[in-house]
Amino acid sequence: MTVMRTPTADRFQPIDLQPEDSPLMPDQTDKTLARIRTELLTTFSAADWESYNHLVRWLRDTDVASHALKVGDDAPNFLLPDADGRLHAFEQLRRKGPLVLSFFRGGWCPFCTAELRALQAAKDEFENVGATLAVVTPETKDFPRQLKQNLGLDLKVLSDVDYGVAMSYGVLFRVPDETKAHYSRLGFDFGARHGSPEWMLPIPATYVIDAEGRIRSAFVEPDFTIREEPTQILASLRQVASTSR
Amino acid sequence: MELHQVRYFLAVASTLNFTRAAEQCNVTQPALTKGVQKLEQELGGQLIYRERQLTQLTDLGKEVLPMLERTLASAEAVRRRAQEFQRKDVAPLKIGLAPSISASLVLDPIAEIAKFVPGLHVELREGAAKKLVDLLLEGEINVAMVGDVQDVPARIDDWSLFEERYVAVLAPTHKLANRPSIGIDDLRETILLERADCDVAPKIQQSYFPEKPPQLGHCSGHDLHLQHMAAAGFGVILAPEHMPRLPTLKTIPLEGDRVSREVRLLAVQGRRYSPALDAFVKVARLRDWSIEAPDRGVPREEVPVVSRGPA
Repeated sequence: MTVMRTPTADRFQPIDLQPEDSPLMPDQTDKTLARIRTELLTTFSAADWESYNHLVRWLRDTDVASHALKVGDDAPNFLLPDADGRLHAFEQLRRKGPLVLSFFRGGWCPFCTAELRALQAAKDEFENVGATLAVVTPETKDFPRQLKQNLGLDLKVLSDVDYGVAMSYGVLFRVPDETKAHYSRLGFDFGARHGSPEWMLPIPATYVIDAEGRIRSAFVEPDFTIREEPTQILASLRQVASTSR
Repeated sequence: MELHQVRYFLAVASTLNFTRAAEQCNVTQPALTKGVQKLEQELGGQLIYRERQLTQLTDLGKEVLPMLERTLASAEAVRRRAQEFQRKDVAPLKIGLAPSISASLVLDPIAEIAKFVPGLHVELREGAAKKLVDLLLEGEINVAMVGDVQDVPARIDDWSLFEERYVAVLAPTHKLANRPSIGIDDLRETILLERADCDVAPKIQQSYFPEKPPQLGHCSGHDLHLQHMAAAGFGVILAPEHMPRLPTLKTIPLEGDRVSREVRLLAVQGRRYSPALDAFVKVARLRDWSIEAPDRGVPREEVPVVSRGPA
């Protein structure tokens, strides 16, 4: 139902803030993710802007998002460990109703932590319409555990060990050298975080999958600063509920 | 990147022949070539040299191959799990454990994967790290857990699972048994039971006995043998903290916790993962091993809560 975003000309421009806006920690859950994004973008250094523009342009030029699964596709099966090493099978996660499956980049990414907080705040509402929420990170070892602890999350944080699930959903890409250099300078070692010699990341993506395993809504956005608002996910879930059975 | 593109590339990498790779993947050669080219565009360079007589991997091709193999293996293990599940197949999993790794460490992971791999049949093998590496390469075991290990061949994937400290283990009647911790000088005056083929022997030597070797007592390569000898009062053992101990023994930390080691997981690169192996590796790489070594005294890396936005 949700369509893939198309680039807009002003997306790469700094955004003028109203005087009352100030860069804050993205911890106020009453704000929309769009609003938090605006605030986070004001904290970007020149190097952040350059890297951001480069990566998003590269993702669009190589059309990485075109591989991503779309509405109507069958969602691939998976078996992944959560932050505590307990396994979760795809068929179990969607047994009770639709599954919200959200790929994020990692606990080091402030747009991801803002999204996770927003999803945490919306979790009860999702459950009230019979849905299950699971978020997927490429991070391994104790990184997902620490993330849950630091953000106080009570979510199923699944670890996509070796990126197999991101690849089967078509949202995986190899981090280009320029981006790798930028993140390395910021002190992020994805090799250590992912337990992998190659640096790969998912495009942030949120899928709503029905109990039969069919994709009912797909939000796949190469601009990693833009995430699906929980209210939009909830609308998709309501639609799934109204059209099944 | 797309699953089928990766599959095409891996087929070319293993056959070094586009015609045979296309046959293997059940597609036409132009379709295979196009898939590989799209992957090359995305990865930002050629993966394969195509010359008349010679098809070879480029440096980039060689660099990304192991990771793509792992990613594909992981994606495909899931499908095989569904098939095995339906056929009720036996799912063998052979795990090698170094002598300093207790079987108690793998019990919980085995119980966890047994819930999802119904035919799971585990075989545990004990051996020194070097021996386990050989068994891995020969295909005699699927995965190994070892302590410090030197010269792991490039064909072996190697993940650090957790760090733990070494502690002194002794009989309650030993003259050091009532100390809150054991210092270097005490250790130098004490008889140590010798652990044959010990991974961390060089570290112990360097930290506690740089000049004069320790006074070594009786010897065994088996932890339980050493424990029985320690319980009989023959000497002190230095043991990894997670190791379960006979109830008649006492554990005392070493002053300054000078010796610690990493417990590592080894598996052979590029080999097809069975669903049981895939699940075991995944659980092992996420599990909270600190339950096994609660006071390991190793500072944990903090995830920075970032307030600025790195792009």
